[in-house]
Amino acid sequence: MTSSADQKPSNSAVISILGKKVFGRDGEDMGRVVDVLADSDGHARAAVIDFGGFLGVGNRRVAVDWRSLQIDPSNADKPVILSLSREQVNAAPEFKESAHPEQAIVTDPSARAPAAPAHQQ
Amino acid sequence: MLHTGHTGAIAEESDHAANRGLDWFNLCVANIQTGFGPFVAVYLVSQGWTQTAIGIALSIGTVTAMASQVPAGALVDALRSKAAVAAISVLAFTASALMFAIYPIPLFVYLAEILHGFSSCTLGPAVAAISLALVGRAAMGTRLGRNARYASIGNGVGAALMGACGSYVSERAVFFLTAAVTLPAVFALLPLRRIGAIAPATTSPTSGTTPAAIDAAPPGARRAAVMRVMLDRRLLIFSACAMLFTFANAPMLPLAASTLTVRVGHLASLLIGACIVLPQLIVALASPAVGRFADLRGRRPLLLLGFSMLPLRGLLFATLPSPTLVVLIQALDGVAAACFGIMVPLITSDVAGRSGHYTLSLGVVGFAIGIGATVSTTAAGWVADHFGSQIAFLGLAGVGLAATLLLLTLMPETRPPHLPGGVAASDDTGLDTVPARLLHIP
Repeated sequence: MTSSADQKPSNSAVISILGKKVFGRDGEDMGRVVDVLADSDGHARAAVIDFGGFLGVGNRRVAVDWRSLQIDPSNADKPVILSLSREQVNAAPEFKESAHPEQAIVTDPSARAPAAPAHQQ
Repeated sequence: MLHTGHTGAIAEESDHAANRGLDWFNLCVANIQTGFGPFVAVYLVSQGWTQTAIGIALSIGTVTAMASQVPAGALVDALRSKAAVAAISVLAFTASALMFAIYPIPLFVYLAEILHGFSSCTLGPAVAAISLALVGRAAMGTRLGRNARYASIGNGVGAALMGACGSYVSERAVFFLTAAVTLPAVFALLPLRRIGAIAPATTSPTSGTTPAAIDAAPPGARRAAVMRVMLDRRLLIFSACAMLFTFANAPMLPLAASTLTVRVGHLASLLIGACIVLPQLIVALASPAVGRFADLRGRRPLLLLGFSMLPLRGLLFATLPSPTLVVLIQALDGVAAACFGIMVPLITSDVAGRSGHYTLSLGVVGFAIGIGATVSTTAAGWVADHFGSQIAFLGLAGVGLAATLLLLTLMPETRPPHLPGGVAASDDTGLDTVPARLLHIP
């Protein structure tokens, strides 16, 4: 279902991200997107994900690298898939509003990313 | 003695119905309030709200609740039927819950926050005033113990129900459920609808200033009477203690819960749920005994017991124990909550119960508690960010210790000395059948 990148209409399709649930590769609920971090080029660098807690108590925020998200607007159920594991997300530092939020961004070390065109200082 | 116009049997029966009604009302209201807490932020995120907008909505709620405490207390004093006040406050909750559920756009969410913030400030004092009118001073502690028991059952059930609803149905469904629970709450008030009218009758005939007498007094004398109540030394000391208590208490659970989320992963939600429900269970079990002990022996030992839980809990959390221990330490929160929750309306009723300014005084204490809660969440968050949660827990333990010492050195016993020890004025509570030795808290 959420297979290859060459699906017919989804190339130009877009989807609203704020508030969307994020799922792991195995379908586990990983939290919700609460914010998006962008760089000076206007590219999205990271998504802030809020997860855990109970009725709003004890939840936690981490910023995950934008490239660790697979977004499939044609998938109505699970349009946003995170390639990071639960362990990687738990080990990540808490995301805070600070002068340098980019330091808290978690990247996927095992990712196939050959330094995507989005960013290279 | 309260119902001079009735025959004993009828009075007893309607008394029983009124007490039952108040039990159910407390249960439903606690249930309703579960949805309006931190969960609002979770819901608004699910609706695609930005962090800034959510922050504004929550701040509007906090500011309204803070600004309303004292005026709402004064308003409840001025209104004759406290049951009507309670009913209208609950219907305001219905409206807020439906606005959240149906139109989560800024205008309605902000309105709902204002409505909910204000009516929370009228509801609590109205319930306390109904309780006092229902049972009188001698059995007030016992009645407040019952209130606390049913409220904590409502909290526990609410957390389980709303938590399940939020994760298995939808975040939005939580607010529909909340709105639905307001209906049984209003029904529970039916046997209480005449209670407000008998409030002046509970005033001891020896005390001189009945609310009616104050109503008739010239405005200058009235203002002086209000100031005398609000500036009562015991009320001010107790307000300061309550502020410090809340300062130390409010951030502990969120702080402990977020350390759980870091360390336990997907089981964290379950453990945090346990951290919320376990204290409620303790409150449900302990508060009747706490209330009776307060009536028979006095308030100070219970205050000290409840307050001393804070430094203990802070120290234990600071040692960063295993996740299971975190849940167990939360049991101490139950002991503290049972004592504190009953002592706030009880001590205030000792100081101002007969003055005609009872709910105004509750507003003053509530304002102090609100300041403590608001300031401390920010302060503890800042300390945890910069120095780690261990230092934050130690700091909170220090504030808790300061509160306990302030209480120990300055706060007098407020139990009226002329109350009969071991005999209750209301026979509805079974109070006089309980041997004194059973009343000690282990």
